[in-house]
Amino acid sequence: MHVTVEIAGEDTHELEVDADATYGDLLAPVDLSPHEVSVLVDGEHMPTDQPVEHDHVRVVRLIKGG
Amino acid sequence: MRPDLDPEQLDRYSRHIIMNDVGPEGQAALLDTDVLVVGAGGLGAPVLQYLAAAGIGRLGIVDDDVVERSNLQRQVIHGDDDVGRPKVDSAAEFVTGLNPDVTVDRHELRLARENATDLVADYDIVVDASDNFATRFLVNDACTLSGTPFSHGAIFQFEGQVTTFSGDSPCYRCLFPEAPPEGTVPDCATAGVLGVLPGTIGCMQATEVVKLAMDYGETLEGRLVAYDAAEMSFEEIPVAAKPDCPVCGDDPAIASVADASYEGRCSLAED
Repeated sequence: MHVTVEIAGEDTHELEVDADATYGDLLAPVDLSPHEVSVLVDGEHMPTDQPVEHDHVRVVRLIKGG
Repeated sequence: MRPDLDPEQLDRYSRHIIMNDVGPEGQAALLDTDVLVVGAGGLGAPVLQYLAAAGIGRLGIVDDDVVERSNLQRQVIHGDDDVGRPKVDSAAEFVTGLNPDVTVDRHELRLARENATDLVADYDIVVDASDNFATRFLVNDACTLSGTPFSHGAIFQFEGQVTTFSGDSPCYRCLFPEAPPEGTVPDCATAGVLGVLPGTIGCMQATEVVKLAMDYGETLEGRLVAYDAAEMSFEEIPVAAKPDCPVCGDDPAIASVADASYEGRCSLAED
């Protein structure tokens, strides 16, 4: 399955993943941990243990500082 | 709303008042708005500066820290003479010196489960200018549960995020359901932050508060802006309500801040 992973404010990555890949599986190839980001499809948060059902996701980093 | 601006106020706010889209009514709305700013650090500094200058009638400031010299590279309301002083004192002096119209409430404390609901209930709008996840999740939960609109801002190195939540749905937990495990996300103290970055993000937060107070324009509700100072780029990310959100979802598990823990992952309380 081909998935476009767009990291907000950063690069966009084109990935080929297994048919049973989860949203969490999209993160390691782009050097991100599930703990530090939220995976969004049309603005809705996708649990990282859910199978990928969309060919385009956006990833938003969780930022702490203020 | 107070329509009666005195001659000094007509002068001070003249550049607002002459705008057709603000006018005396808009300025009166600002003067009648109570805003709670959680955090008087990097983001809180420009937020307080511009809200004070704009004539927000009452500003509550929550912070339990003292000013450190390493703050001064970005926390522009504190000065070298303030090092060692409580930030709420330094911030309150700045606000009063800038605009005597503004009433300042100093809350020298850490926002906690025990005080958050009462504090939020006393204000019309809240600004999350905090620097830790426990406070961020607590601000979200207390505001969303009480229907209080709030502005969210966050900064890291060259990167900033800003959005506005209406107090309904979506909320911050729709975007980030839980805090990350301790130590997995670096903070500004360990990884650094560009000194001008909180100025940009904090000014955007102040802009959102001013619009909310005047009920004017389009806020960032349902949109998060990601700013990259290194590339000087802004990106807009839609934020949708999460049906199973524990706070604003269809069957919320958190009905009061007592139902959640604000330590570790900021998830449901075990007791």
